[in-house]
Amino acid sequence: MTETEAISLFKCLADKSRLQILKSLAVEDMYVERLAERLGLTASTISFHLKKLSDAGAVAAYKNQYYMMYSLNKEIFQTSILEILQQESDEAQKQAKRDADYRQRVIDAFFEYGKLKSIPAQLKKERIVLEVIAEAFEFNRIYSEREVNIIIADFYDDFCTIRRDMIGERLLGRNGMEYWRIKND
Amino acid sequence: MNEKQTKFELYLDEKIAACRQRCERFAADDRIDEGNFEKIRANVYEIFKTIFSAAEKACGKDESAMKRFFLQKAEQIPSSWTVSYEKAEQHGDVKKMHIESIKLETVREIRDIFMQIWEETI
Repeated sequence: MTETEAISLFKCLADKSRLQILKSLAVEDMYVERLAERLGLTASTISFHLKKLSDAGAVAAYKNQYYMMYSLNKEIFQTSILEILQQESDEAQKQAKRDADYRQRVIDAFFEYGKLKSIPAQLKKERIVLEVIAEAFEFNRIYSEREVNIIIADFYDDFCTIRRDMIGERLLGRNGMEYWRIKND
Repeated sequence: MNEKQTKFELYLDEKIAACRQRCERFAADDRIDEGNFEKIRANVYEIFKTIFSAAEKACGKDESAMKRFFLQKAEQIPSSWTVSYEKAEQHGDVKKMHIESIKLETVREIRDIFMQIWEETI
């Protein structure tokens, strides 16, 4: 189900009469007049709701002798809300691009010729800065404190603060005098 | 204003108030579309209230002229709704058909009540 389809379905379901129609169809397939009688609505109103439900893919219609019968599209209701939320969307790509642009702006503002100008006051920005410095460390390798300090000093003179914050942000792991780069998803 | 005019205006006002009440009830009951149908009905009553006021202004105390004026508008205005209904029917647009039929039904009712009130006392 695409994001647009999900929105259309949710909008469609946010109506008591339409939910009542679906509940009736969950019991058995019905035709317009039968639903109208059951729910105390006019046939025309039922047709209006059925059209909306049909456009959203919630119901299907089929001909049975003289009647147009409506049935619940069970397949669509077997989709879990979590599955819908986990679906990739255009919006997710746009969001990722916005995040990448923001990250680049922070890097451009705080780094000059590869050197950190100052530690950002905002945690979100500091995290980005620390991630850039963390890239200088290899994965699956143990570093001594001296090695860590030298690597950080290439970026910023106050290597103690940076080293401590990198551990706090879980970019570096520490056990006594041994350090390593932590893999983050 | 004579008795007929008062009676017809009262009828329209009561209908508008009833539609608004139903609209609020539907909204409170999470039945927004049905609430909107009531708004559409109320709008039609409002249109004919305006037409009736115009008829009163244009025709003064001439009741026959007022009747002609009103019935002429009651034919003229819904003609585009009829066209719209027919187009919707051709395209199988059930949603549009329902909305247009609400408007046409309401006009029919207004015309019948108008005639009833007018014939009663003439």
